[in-house]
Amino acid sequence: MTETTEAAAALGQEAIQPPARRGAGVLRFLRQQRLGTIGAVLIILMTIGAIAAPVLGTSDPEGFGVAPILEGPSGSHIFGTNREGRDVWSRVLYGGRVSLKIGLATVVVAALGGTALALLAGYLGGPVDFAFGRVADVLIAFPSILFALTLHASLRDELPNLGEVLAAEEFLLVVAICIVFTPVIFRIMRGNVLEQRAAIYVESARVIGASEVRIMWRHIFPNLVGLLLIVMSTTLPAAILTESALSFLGVGVQQGTPSWGADLSGTNRAYFVSAPWIAIFPGLALSITVLAFNLFGDALRDTLDPRLRGQR
Amino acid sequence: MQAYIARRLIAVPFMLFGMSLLLFWLLFLRPGNAALTGFGLVSPDQNAQAIASLEEEFGLDKPFFVQYGKWAWNALQGDFGISLKNRRPVTPEIRSRLPVTAELGLLTVLLTAVIGLPVGIISAIRPGTFLDGLLRIVTISGISVPNFWVATLVITLPAIWWAWTPLWEYVRFEDDPINNLKIVIWPAVTLAIATAAYVARIVRSSMLETLYSDYVRTARAKGLRERAVVLRHVFRSSMIAVITVIGIQLGAVLGGSVIAEQIFGIPGLGLLVFESVVSIDYTVALAAIMVFAFMFTIVNLVVDVSYTFVDPRIRY
Repeated sequence: MTETTEAAAALGQEAIQPPARRGAGVLRFLRQQRLGTIGAVLIILMTIGAIAAPVLGTSDPEGFGVAPILEGPSGSHIFGTNREGRDVWSRVLYGGRVSLKIGLATVVVAALGGTALALLAGYLGGPVDFAFGRVADVLIAFPSILFALTLHASLRDELPNLGEVLAAEEFLLVVAICIVFTPVIFRIMRGNVLEQRAAIYVESARVIGASEVRIMWRHIFPNLVGLLLIVMSTTLPAAILTESALSFLGVGVQQGTPSWGADLSGTNRAYFVSAPWIAIFPGLALSITVLAFNLFGDALRDTLDPRLRGQR
Repeated sequence: MQAYIARRLIAVPFMLFGMSLLLFWLLFLRPGNAALTGFGLVSPDQNAQAIASLEEEFGLDKPFFVQYGKWAWNALQGDFGISLKNRRPVTPEIRSRLPVTAELGLLTVLLTAVIGLPVGIISAIRPGTFLDGLLRIVTISGISVPNFWVATLVITLPAIWWAWTPLWEYVRFEDDPINNLKIVIWPAVTLAIATAAYVARIVRSSMLETLYSDYVRTARAKGLRERAVVLRHVFRSSMIAVITVIGIQLGAVLGGSVIAEQIFGIPGLGLLVFESVVSIDYTVALAAIMVFAFMFTIVNLVVDVSYTFVDPRIRY
């Protein structure tokens, strides 16, 4: 996260004044973007919670009868326990692992894929650009949840198992969410590639004899990095929300796997009125995480691209 | 402008063709997919023969493009075939569920506009104040809270505090409008929280952009009341962004209806999509999703065309 902040802040400064020393940009970000800083701190806390889950007083989130059944929050189980006798605090921390893992995987793949396709479309132009654009139109025309549901129905029996890193169900989630977000990112980046292509510096590069590939890679791509960071920071919370919505609908993670969305669904729902803590904490964790990314993304956009201030 | 509308209208069938081909491919291409559902209807010991006869019944033994062509030809005439699960025709089912989801969608968009526009305007005309800061935090929270959690809380918390729950037995609007609204209002509020917050943010930013432009200063300088300046000059020119966003949000509402209808037990199209996808009832899923996609395409078209009426500068 710090890397992103540094890169972001450094980029923001480039336009105004060169940073006096390393880290000055970060300090400026911290001073000027209070809400963004709160978001960044929350993101860091959530990430630590997810990574260090085993040592943060948790018990096996998938075992049965590890803790008493349906007990309210107390000293030994601060978020209470659920119907299967699992500690809700453990479920919430391990659920964060799933959300962050799938969110990050999706955003990286969709951002790289979308940008690569945008550069290709901008470079080749003509029929390729047209074809990519129409495919994107079609993919964007489906409400994302519907499309992910369809993909799930279509692909669920034919999945590679990537073992420990990514279970088959999680891989399917990544694929489904990627197909939903790649065309959106492609469309944004393509618009920018075309804008950059018309810029004077590209013309100058062409005049001095730079090849089109070199122009794309050395001149246009670096100018897209700031926008790409902004797009990634707004896509990540959306991806996390989509993952949890699909898990909520029962077409996400494997049954029993701790996930904020899945823990709010299915048979758990019958116990929400008598044991509200099992409904409140996973939802709260999810909402705070998405809010943190949105706050950070907003601040990042303010810093990197003042033209887009306040927009979303 | 007429040429532009004509061009967009011509694009619609191509879009629908692309979407249906993609969906058909996703749902049908895998051999035996559809037959496997029918498999549950027959006893296991006669499976080979039963599958063969089911495949023949639904035409699944034909090549992909033959199947697609047959489906598309029938769909164009409003016939979406029969459900694999209960063998009932799909079209009447869709027709009876469409108004339910349309009502939910319209109510949500109405709430979105009623909440989102004033909040955005108030935020924009008092930028940097405490109220603006508060509303910004509220709206960014609004877009961050997942709708299925809000729905869960709507059902759970009042039940705990006041032993109050929303009505469960769905009644159709034409049978009992009052009770129908009492039911549909909750999923609509649930979905409208995020969309209203989104609209408020866009209204704020696009109004701030125009609030300091020359023509607004001129309007003030010639002595117009602030109210007239804001509503007639600033707000109107921000309408493009607002229309786009409300249009896009209608898409989010259509997707959200899958979740809201499931939680609140509303027998609409969203619930039908969910049930048919989960039970692998492919003909129903295909028809329901295509109807959704069709509505979304039309909304986008209307949004783009309506720009020209709001902003006379835009000439396609």
